[in-house]
Amino acid sequence: MKKDIKQFQIGEVKLSSRLFVGTGKLPNYELIEEMYKEANVQVFTVAVRRIGPNTKHTQSVLEYIPKEAVIMVNTSGAKDHKEAIRIAEIGRELTKSDWVKIEIETDSKYLFPDNNGTILAAQVLVKEGFKVFPYIYPDLIVAKKLEEIGASAVMPLASPIGTNKGIGCEVLLKPIINEISIPVIIDAGIGRPSHAAKAMEMGADAVLINTAIATANQPVSMAKAFAKAVEAGRLAYEIGLLEEKEFASASSPLDDLIRGV
Amino acid sequence: VFVNDKPFEFSGNIIELLKELNLNPETTAVLVNNKIVPKAEFERTIVGDDDYVETISFVGGG
Repeated sequence: MKKDIKQFQIGEVKLSSRLFVGTGKLPNYELIEEMYKEANVQVFTVAVRRIGPNTKHTQSVLEYIPKEAVIMVNTSGAKDHKEAIRIAEIGRELTKSDWVKIEIETDSKYLFPDNNGTILAAQVLVKEGFKVFPYIYPDLIVAKKLEEIGASAVMPLASPIGTNKGIGCEVLLKPIINEISIPVIIDAGIGRPSHAAKAMEMGADAVLINTAIATANQPVSMAKAFAKAVEAGRLAYEIGLLEEKEFASASSPLDDLIRGV
Repeated sequence: VFVNDKPFEFSGNIIELLKELNLNPETTAVLVNNKIVPKAEFERTIVGDDDYVETISFVGGG
């Protein structure tokens, strides 16, 4: 069963927040520091892309991420394990961070991750000294394999990326949470704070949210709302949730009732 | 040279190229002919002619 740690630790890194945030789709990069300060977000994901002439990107997000925060580089855009490895290596050249979210997508409609390619990339990147965070389709056997390889965590999806559908595959996520001992970070598809709270109540170690925060009317306030939900869900999990019952059980005493009523 | 697929009139080292392109050498990675150039070698890496350069950095992503 799951460890019961108040402070979340991955490798050497101690974190006091279990809310990880993706920086895609943000209206401006200044919001990153505000989320760090006001919602205590400590881990931010970024993508590796061309920048400068003949590209859409003029600004590097790197300059906007607080020095104390952890940068997790994603390999989005990779179609196979070779491309993912290359993106990870380029990412590490840019920053001291060796945290990499392996993300290999060959299906553009649902953006489901390619679990096989992800395993191949993880094998190489772990050997190269990366802290590997594979984004996976929720499959216990794959998660076990990644744990064996030496991944720092697994990041199974809750629903397709950006859909805001919430925990769409609880019956597949629960076994992963129960059976593996590296952290489980629920990624993708979480659209509301209540979804995040549910993930944490299930025993997830953290959640990664992008679209639901970045595209909200007020991203920083929404990040705060998510932070509260994550904390509430985690606390409830640590205390222990009660079982559902079929029949009512009165909360008020059933004896010493008033006669005259 | 070619910068991100398009021809660009330039000859010199990587530091000079980035300056000309208005890119920060601290936050930009450079691939020359598909190979990563380590930051420490920016100054002594000369590009010109048909060299194929890609300028890369981090952008917002999930």
